[in-house]
Amino acid sequence: MKIVKNRWFWFLFSGVLVVSAVVALATFGLKQGIDFTGGTQLSVRFEKRPTPVDAEKAMAVFNLNTMTIQPAGDTDLIFRFKSIDEDTHQKMIKTMESTFGKVTELQYNAIGPAVGVELRQKAISSLVIIFLLVLAFIAWSFRKVSAPVQSWKYGTVVLASAFHDVIIPVGLFALLGKFLNWEIGTPFIAAVLTIMGYSINDTIVVLDRVRENLQKTTGTFEEIVERSIQQTMLRSFNTSMTTILALLAVFFFGGESIKEFALALIVGIATGTYSSIFIIPSLLVTWNKFSHKTKQAGTRA
Amino acid sequence: MSKPSTVTVPRSAVKQRALLLLVLALLVGGVAYPPAANRVIDTMNYWVGTHLGHIEKGFVLGLDLQGGTRLDYEADVSQVPASERAASLDGVRDVIERRVNSLGVSEPLITTAQAGDSWRVSAELAGIRDVNQAIKLIGETPILEFKEENTEPQRDLTAEETKAMDAKNAEAKKKAEADLAQALKDPGSVEALAKSDSSDQASKALGGDLGFLKGKPQYQPILDAVKNLKAGEVLNRLVDLPGAYVIAKVEEVKASDPQVNGRHILIQWAGAQSAPTSTTRTKEEAKKALEDIKKQVTAANFTDMAKKYSEEPGAKESGGDLGWFGKGDMVEPFEKAIYAMKKGDVSDIVETQFGYHLIFKADERPTNDVRARAVFIKQTQASDILPPQGEWKNTQLGGKQLKSAKLDFDQNSGSPQIALQFDDEGTKLFADITKRNVGKRVAIFLDGNVEIAPTVQTEIANGQAVITGNYTIEEAKTKAMRLQQGALPIPIKLIAQQTVGSTLGQDSVNKSLTAGIWGFVFVALFMLFWYRLPGLMSIVSLCLYVGISFSIFKLLPVTLTLAGIAGFILSLGIAVDANVLVFERLKEEVKSGKGWLQALEEAFRRAWPSIRDGNTTTLIACAVLYWFSSSIIKGFALTLAVGILTSLFTSIIVTRTLLRLVAMTELPKRMPWLFLNKTEDKK
Repeated sequence: MKIVKNRWFWFLFSGVLVVSAVVALATFGLKQGIDFTGGTQLSVRFEKRPTPVDAEKAMAVFNLNTMTIQPAGDTDLIFRFKSIDEDTHQKMIKTMESTFGKVTELQYNAIGPAVGVELRQKAISSLVIIFLLVLAFIAWSFRKVSAPVQSWKYGTVVLASAFHDVIIPVGLFALLGKFLNWEIGTPFIAAVLTIMGYSINDTIVVLDRVRENLQKTTGTFEEIVERSIQQTMLRSFNTSMTTILALLAVFFFGGESIKEFALALIVGIATGTYSSIFIIPSLLVTWNKFSHKTKQAGTRA
Repeated sequence: MSKPSTVTVPRSAVKQRALLLLVLALLVGGVAYPPAANRVIDTMNYWVGTHLGHIEKGFVLGLDLQGGTRLDYEADVSQVPASERAASLDGVRDVIERRVNSLGVSEPLITTAQAGDSWRVSAELAGIRDVNQAIKLIGETPILEFKEENTEPQRDLTAEETKAMDAKNAEAKKKAEADLAQALKDPGSVEALAKSDSSDQASKALGGDLGFLKGKPQYQPILDAVKNLKAGEVLNRLVDLPGAYVIAKVEEVKASDPQVNGRHILIQWAGAQSAPTSTTRTKEEAKKALEDIKKQVTAANFTDMAKKYSEEPGAKESGGDLGWFGKGDMVEPFEKAIYAMKKGDVSDIVETQFGYHLIFKADERPTNDVRARAVFIKQTQASDILPPQGEWKNTQLGGKQLKSAKLDFDQNSGSPQIALQFDDEGTKLFADITKRNVGKRVAIFLDGNVEIAPTVQTEIANGQAVITGNYTIEEAKTKAMRLQQGALPIPIKLIAQQTVGSTLGQDSVNKSLTAGIWGFVFVALFMLFWYRLPGLMSIVSLCLYVGISFSIFKLLPVTLTLAGIAGFILSLGIAVDANVLVFERLKEEVKSGKGWLQALEEAFRRAWPSIRDGNTTTLIACAVLYWFSSSIIKGFALTLAVGILTSLFTSIIVTRTLLRLVAMTELPKRMPWLFLNKTEDKK
């Protein structure tokens, strides 16, 4: 399987994925949890769980306007509503007990709007910082390799891959938010930031090999890249597999509250590995050819 | 072999390292899973006779795992000058800490943080039950008050009040007399009367039953009044207790311990209880002296002898007379002695903590104890009308007029002190207060408790006071900070609350544990399937990795949260990554015809740059995540980072040592399929 040779197929495949992700994100947006919007989330375990409609009726006296109620597991309901004071919170629990029998309050999160805004800002600035730090690190790490590809090009390609690896899970969560009501909170941000760091991991393995082969072997740039890919494909795949296996355990056994986090990481890491094999090296080759062509075109004219 | 094996490490060194790793494994195993280690320690203590303690270090669980509440407050510092904001926030934290401590929360964690322009205080309350109460208690703005000593004498009732009181009491007496008449006519009605009319709430509920009266000083007047009545009789007059007229009826009479009457002679030694300082004789000398006295003493001359010799204060007048007393009135050895004696006898020498005694028993008489039923009719007293007299009296001065409280140093002695500065209004008030109270104390109350109560040395008219005392710098600083906080109008607002019930916490712990075990199993099977013996070695390293990580979590300690555990499980996958890279290199090296040992060294050496670079980027991400300071994410970043650093050690050093150890055996030659190559090593 020649990867570099068939690169336009993979470019197209990734292109479709990235465009779909961007479209999903633009149309649906991410369904933000109370971490970012502010508000209240209350998880309650019932001995006899009422339907969300009945629960909403029982809570109608509290005037919570836009309350959403979602079942979770077999026994729990998750209520989401605007910010309330502690007395109202206690009264709600009492009302549930008097209406539906014994209830156990599992979790109660109330976030003020100011905190939400701040978290969102922090999330964005962290993303930018990680981007810049990783770019700096790659440029430094590849500083000795200049011919035929300059080190800043490695860095740029790595960043392109980071964007690719992040936008795809984000797009997926836009869809999940739209159709399954999955909300994103701080754990999702943590996942995205980790993907950024980790997706570079595989990329570095491939590029390292390219760097090594450039110094040690002969052939055209395309041939060297192809050889490097073939040599490192299995290890990239395997390193990701071990991580994904560990994450699958978290996804399936770790409980509801951590599922979103595990899924984001799984998708991100899988995407990262895919891009490090099928996209990044080929991108380097294409870029190299393109600049050669323009150079040649320039000398001819 | 094609190349000389200069890169390989000598066998002895490998064995030495393997041994070191084994010791490390035992150590971290013990810390990570104490029950096993403790059993070993027990056995050793038993057989070797050592006295080693148990390992009892546990994991520190976050709120989401043990259940609890996190409350985030924003402090409004707009009224506070910028330079004092941090200090006043610390003050807020201290106040919250004190208030939370009063709730009995175990190890509350109160932290302050500054994010941009907003100043925060967060309280993490593990295992708290009544969150509502905590919120109410924390949310109060602290109150600072200055109070002066209350030296005013209790005032007398005004003529008008006296008149009103007398009128009321006359009415009460009339009522009591009516009830008494009723009770005398029908003794059985006392119970009903008590239930309807008694003002003594405790006995009212029991139909006026007071139980046996002996040993209850408050009922002594009743006992004295009724002691000669028989069971079922009602006392034919009212007992006039302070605060009540009492109608009393005897329900039951029983014989009680008799009372005794006598005299004694006391001889003390230096150091005996309540001996005057002039006493110089030793205990032996005291005993000797009393023995000499005893030779002269008889029942007839006891009073005179006591007047002459007894060292009890006032014995010269009283002649050592003790009067009538009962059980429990005297110290035990004395009581025992006198009760054992016959009437008219003189005792042997008796020792008590007061000295040596000679006792003369004059008389003994039987006593009765009485169970009585009583109706209390309330009498109004002056104390009911006048408010109770407190130790401290309010002043107009409070936190509002205190500009600042700071740590300061005495110009001469350099000892730490607290400097107070009042505003204009406060200066005037404080001048008045100090003028009134020179030589007396002025107390500063925080939240209703005396924080500090210095004595006023002189009138202070300039609004600047210093409080001196034997403070350490730290004490003075804390006190100043607390006053400062109480002094500053710095309201706090609850901006976020996160509560996790203990049910969910336990649930999460169980699920995380399951996920962790499965994660480990998945990774282990994968490695074994792909890399066979080296794979097995990487699993051994992974076990050590788990042990080391757990030990670090416990010893640092790292607070484990749900996300933190997820981070750790993720790190299980990442931990073997380095081994995957090495093993793939190893395959290549073996394929290129190198001998096993050589290939091994080469693979580790050449895989290192990729391993280093790959992990560095993940560590960068962890660092940024940690800075992204939501506590959930911090836990994740920390466990992941600890995991990555630990895994670098285990997957490189440990796996390499294990593989070298195996490579030194005959195994690679005999069973090459275990070592990633299907064909025999080329010689």
